[in-house]
Amino acid sequence: MNNQTPTLSELADDLITPPLTLWQLGWLRFRRHKMALFGGVILILLFIFAFGGAFLYTEKYANFNDTSQRLLAPSAEHPFGTDSIGRDILARTIYGGQISLFIGLVSVIIETILGIIIGALAGYYGGVIDAILMRITEAMLNIPTIFLLIVMAKFFGGNVPEIEIAGRVFSGSVIVIIVIIGATSWMYLARIVRAEFLSLKENEFILAARATGTSNSQIIFYHILPNTVAPIIVSSTLSVANAILAEAYISFLGLGVMPPTATWGNMLESSAKYLDSAPWLWFFPGMLILLTVLSINFIGDGMRDALDPRSRTI
Amino acid sequence: MNHMKSVLFLMVVAMLLLSACGGGSAATSVPEQPGDATEVPATDAPASEKKVVTFSWTQEFTSLSPLYSTGWFTAVTQQFWNCWAWNYDENNEPYPYLVTEMPSFENGGISEDGLTITLHLRDDIKWSDNEPITSEDFRFSWAMNIDPKNIVSSTYPEDLVTSIDTPDAQTVVLHFDTPSVAWQSLFTGIVPAHILQPVYDAEGTLDNAEWNNNPSVGCGPYNFAEWESGSYARFVRNDNYFDAPAKIDEIFIRFVPDDTAQTTALVAGDADLGAFIPYSEVPRLKEAGVEIMTQPSGFNEGIFLQVSEDFSHPAMLDVNVRKAVAMSIDFDSFNQDVNLGLVKTPGSFWDALPYYNDPPVEPYPYDPEGAKALLDAAGWVDSNEDGTRDKDGVEFIIQHGATTREVRQELQAVAQQQLADVGIELEILNFDADLFFATYADAGPTYSGELDLQEWSDTPSGFPDPDIYYWLCSEVPSDDNPSGTNSFYICDEELDALIQEQASQLDPAERQETVSKINQIFHDKVYWIGAWQDPDVWAVSSRLTGVKFSGVTPFFNITEWDIK
Amino acid sequence: MVRYIVKRLFQGLPLLLVISITLFLLMMNIGDPIATMGGRTITRQSDRERLTRQLGLDKPISVQYLYWLIGNDWTKVDSDGDGIPDNYGTRHGILRGDFGTSLVTRKPVTELIGERIPNTLLLMVASEVVTVFFALLFGIYSALRQYSVMDNIMTALLFIAYSMPIFFVSLMSMYIFAVLFKKWGLPYLPTVGMFDPQVGKTPWQIFIHMILPVFSLSVTYFAAYSRYIRSTMLEVLSQDYVRTARSKGLPRRQVVYIHALKNAALPIVTVIGLDLPFLLGGAVVTERIFAWPGMGRLFLDHVSRSDLPVVMGILMLVATAVVVFQIITDIIYAWLDPRIRFD
Repeated sequence: MNNQTPTLSELADDLITPPLTLWQLGWLRFRRHKMALFGGVILILLFIFAFGGAFLYTEKYANFNDTSQRLLAPSAEHPFGTDSIGRDILARTIYGGQISLFIGLVSVIIETILGIIIGALAGYYGGVIDAILMRITEAMLNIPTIFLLIVMAKFFGGNVPEIEIAGRVFSGSVIVIIVIIGATSWMYLARIVRAEFLSLKENEFILAARATGTSNSQIIFYHILPNTVAPIIVSSTLSVANAILAEAYISFLGLGVMPPTATWGNMLESSAKYLDSAPWLWFFPGMLILLTVLSINFIGDGMRDALDPRSRTI
Repeated sequence: MNHMKSVLFLMVVAMLLLSACGGGSAATSVPEQPGDATEVPATDAPASEKKVVTFSWTQEFTSLSPLYSTGWFTAVTQQFWNCWAWNYDENNEPYPYLVTEMPSFENGGISEDGLTITLHLRDDIKWSDNEPITSEDFRFSWAMNIDPKNIVSSTYPEDLVTSIDTPDAQTVVLHFDTPSVAWQSLFTGIVPAHILQPVYDAEGTLDNAEWNNNPSVGCGPYNFAEWESGSYARFVRNDNYFDAPAKIDEIFIRFVPDDTAQTTALVAGDADLGAFIPYSEVPRLKEAGVEIMTQPSGFNEGIFLQVSEDFSHPAMLDVNVRKAVAMSIDFDSFNQDVNLGLVKTPGSFWDALPYYNDPPVEPYPYDPEGAKALLDAAGWVDSNEDGTRDKDGVEFIIQHGATTREVRQELQAVAQQQLADVGIELEILNFDADLFFATYADAGPTYSGELDLQEWSDTPSGFPDPDIYYWLCSEVPSDDNPSGTNSFYICDEELDALIQEQASQLDPAERQETVSKINQIFHDKVYWIGAWQDPDVWAVSSRLTGVKFSGVTPFFNITEWDIK
Repeated sequence: MVRYIVKRLFQGLPLLLVISITLFLLMMNIGDPIATMGGRTITRQSDRERLTRQLGLDKPISVQYLYWLIGNDWTKVDSDGDGIPDNYGTRHGILRGDFGTSLVTRKPVTELIGERIPNTLLLMVASEVVTVFFALLFGIYSALRQYSVMDNIMTALLFIAYSMPIFFVSLMSMYIFAVLFKKWGLPYLPTVGMFDPQVGKTPWQIFIHMILPVFSLSVTYFAAYSRYIRSTMLEVLSQDYVRTARSKGLPRRQVVYIHALKNAALPIVTVIGLDLPFLLGGAVVTERIFAWPGMGRLFLDHVSRSDLPVVMGILMLVATAVVVFQIITDIIYAWLDPRIRFD
C-alpha cells in the first residue's frame, strides 16, 4: 500500500506547486479544513474558559457548599445553577475543566512517551526485542480497555494521599487516573511508530548515518524520530479526546477522580439521576466534554488530512 | 483455492453493493430509530387473570441456600420460599412461626441458667413436597452450618450452640456453654434434611448441591420457579403451603443494578416494588404516584471515631476535641436539605431500638462557636495563622474515609467545609467497599488504622437484638490478630466489660440497664457520631394493597399482599 | 502455511500465559473478597479466618496461581481446618477446562459465563450488524462526495455522536423514549431488562427491549466505523489503478463498486474481524444501565467484590478469543491478498 515511487502525475503536481516543506503544506491544507479551524477556535475558547475562569472565581468558591441552596436553576447569581449540595456549577465546571484537560493532556504525554519508546525500540532493533515488545503490546490489546481500566483503577485506587501541585490540593486519584489512562492506551501509537521505523531504517540516509558510525540513540532520536512526527502528532491529538472520555467512563462507574475534586466526568456521573429534575447538572459538564472531544477530533482529523504525505489535495 | 477466493470476493462485494444501493428503504428493516418504531410494548393486562408483581432489586442474590447466602437481598428472598423459626412484624416484634411460642424464662423455653433453650414446633408445618418439617430439619440445618466441610457464609451464631437434642419430631433442645443473647438469630432459614442429607452423604459437602441455586423444595408461601443469572428470578404460589395461601400468583424479581434506571422503571410502571431507594430519588417517585414506605431496620449512618495512641491524630485522643468535631458538623441541616427531611439525626447507635435507647440519647447540637471554645480550651489554636489549628507544632489535619456512595461523599464535602470553619482540616478519602473493609493483614485502610473518621451504615448485630462486638479489646487488629474488626482501636476497659456482660444477659430488663450504660459511654466519650437514620426505604406501586414491612423479615405478611 | 499457523499458536500460548500471570497479580491486590461477604454488616473475625482458609486465600500467590492454572487434585489439601492436609483437592485448573468456582456465588465460573454469553452476543452482534450496515452507507457516501455539504454535515453529526459518553446517550434515550413518550401518550419503549415478566420471554419482547441498548451502542461505534470506511475508501480512490480505470472512461458506478470497493473491502473486513472477539466481553456501561444480563455486568458485579475466578475467567476467555481471531484473520488475509507470503 505504501507506494514509495512517485508516479508521473504526482511529479507533475510537484512541478506546478512551489516546493513547500511538509509543515507549510500541512498548514495550507489545515487552513482549508474548515471544521478543523472551527475546532481549534472552540478549543482555545475552552482553555480560556477553564484557565481564565480561575480569575473570576476562587477554588474555595468552587468547593463552597450550602445545602439550603441546593439544586437551584441557573440564575444571575449562579449562571449554571447549583448542584446537589449547593455548589456553584459554573465555578465547578471551570475548576473541573482544568482537571479534565490536565488529565487529558498529561495522560497523553505518558501515552506518547511509552508509545514512542516501545515502538522505536521494537522497530529499530527488531529481532528478539521486537518480538518481546510486540508480544507485550499484543497482550495489552488482547484485553478490552475498559476492563483493564477498571482492574487497574481498583489496583491503584487504595491508598493515595492528597497531593499538592502549585499550591493546589488534588485528590491523589487524579494521578492514578492519569497513570492508568496513559498505561492502557499507548499500544496503537507504539504500533504506528514501529511501522514508521521499520520502513525508515532501511532508507539510504540511515544507512549512511550508520556507516559513518553514528550511535544508535542518535540515529533513533535525531534521524528517524523527526521523520515520524506527523503520524505521532495526529494520533496523540486524537488520544486527548479519548483520554477525556475514558475519565468520564471510569468516573461513571465510580472509580474515577474522587470528590471533592471536580472533573467534568465526575460532575456528569452524579448528575445522571437528576436527568429531568435538574437538567443543568448534566447539561453544562456534558456539553463541555462534548465540545472538547468534538473540537479535538476535528483538529485531529484536519491534521490527518493535512500531514498525510500521500494526500495530494491542497 | 482460486475458485473459493473469487466466491468469497463476490460475496463481500455483493454485501457492500447491497448495502450501498439499499439506501433509505433498508432503514425500515433495522431498529435504528426507536422513535419511529410503531411497536407498542404490551403493557395491557395479560390475557390470563394471573396476578404477577414485579420487584426490582439493585443487587442479585448470591446463592439461595440460607447456608451459603450473603447479603441482604438473599436474606429477604427467603421470606418467599423458605421459613424462619419466628418472624417479626411491622413493629419489629418477634412472633412464633414454625414454633408454637417464643421461648422465654416464663414459659420454661429458656432454662434458669440460660444454657438450655427448648423449641416446640407446630405439628402442621410441612415442606412444599408435603414432607413434614421436623426437629431433624432443625438439627440438620445447624449441623450443616458448623460442618467444616461446608464453606458456609457465616457460622455465627450457630457455633455458640454446643449440641442439639431432638427427643421427638416436634421438640428441639439447644445446649449452650454460656448463655447467649444471639439465640434469637438462630434458624433464620432452614434446609430440608430429606433432600440434602443424601447429597451430603454422597459428596461429603453441600457446597455443590443443586438445591442451593435451585431450591425445588421450600417451606414458604411461594415456590422457587426459576432464576436466570443477571436477569430475573420467579417465585410461584405454593399450593401446599401450611398457612393461609398467598393472594398474588407470582413474584417476578428483576435485577436492575442502576439506581436511576430502577427509578425510571418504577415511574414507568415496569416494576411494582423497589428497595434501597436513595432519598434523592424520592421526589421523582412520589410525583409519579409511587408510595414511599420506610421501616427501621436497625441501621444508622454514622461516623466511627478512631481513638488510638498509636494511629490517631493526637487531638482525637482528647474527648473534648471529639465533642468539638461532633458539634462542628450540621447534620440536621444536611438531613433536612439533602435527605429531604425524611430522616433525623440519630443520637444513639441504638436509635432504632427505643427499648434500649432509654433514656433516649440526643445528638450533640450544631454549635460551631461552642466547638471553637472547646478547641481553644484544649490548646488547639491557630498559632501560625495558616487557617488550621495546631498544637506543639502539629497541625490539626484528620482523615475521613468512606466508600464511594454518593450521599456519603456529599456529607464529606459538607463536613470538610464546616470543620474548616472551626479550624480543622479534613482530608477526604473514598474506597470501594472491598478495599475499605479489607483486613489488617491485607493493609485495608480502616483496619490498618489510617482513618481518624470512618463512615458507614451499621446496625447492632442481630437486630432487633442490641448486641455489639466491634469495640471489644479482643477485636483490636494486630499482627497476632489480623482479622480483628475493631478498626477504631478503642480498648476501653469499662466499655469492654459492659459489652461482654450484656452479651450473656438473657433477661431483657437487666440487659436494658447494661445497654443504656454503653449507650451513655458512646455519647459521653464520643466514640460514634450519628449522621442519619438509615431505615429500609421501599418504593411501592399504588396498585399493591395490604403491604406491610418488617425491618427484620421484610415480607412477613406477603400472603396478604394483593393487586388492586 | 501450516508452519505459520503452528508458529502463531506457539507464540500465542506464552502470550496468554503472561497475560494470565499479570492479571492474576493485579487481581490479587484489588481488594478483599471476604470483606463484603457479610452483606450489609461487617464479616465476623471467625468467619473471615474460616473462609480465608476454606477458599484457599491463605496460600501464597504462587500456589494460588498454580492451583488456578493446573488444579490441586494432585496434592493433599486441608479441608477441615486442623492444619493437616487430608484430602486431595477437587480443582482441575483452567488448562483442563476448570475455571474454578465463584467466591461469591459458589457456582462454577463456566456456568456463570455460559449463562451470559448468549445474552451478550445477542446484544453485541445486533449492535455490530446495525453499526456496520449504517457505517458502510455513510462511509461510502461521504467518501464519494468528500467535502461536499452533505459530507460535512454528516461528518459533524458523526463527530458529535462519537464525542458523547455512552452513558449520556443511554440515559438520555431511556428518558426520552421510555419516560417522556409514555407521558405524552406515544408508543413507548421499555426501560430495563430483557422482557416483560407478564408477557414472558418471547422474541418480540426481547426485540423491543433490545432497541434502546442497541441504539446507544450503535450511535457510538457507528461514528468510528464510518470514519474508517470513509478514509479507506478515500485512500483506495486515490490509487493509480482507480485513476487509470477512470481515465479509461469506465462508467463511474463500475469504477466505484468493482475497482474501489473490491480493494477497500479487505481492510474493512479485517477490522471488523479483529473487533469480533471483543464482542464477547459485552458492554460494561450499557449493560449496567439497561440491566442487560451480559458479560459486562457479570464482570462489573464480580470485580467489585474481588471475585478473582470469575474476573480471570472472563478476561482469559476474551484474550484467548482475540488470539484465535487474530490468527484466523491473518490466514484469511493472506489467502485473499496474494502479495502476502508467510514463508
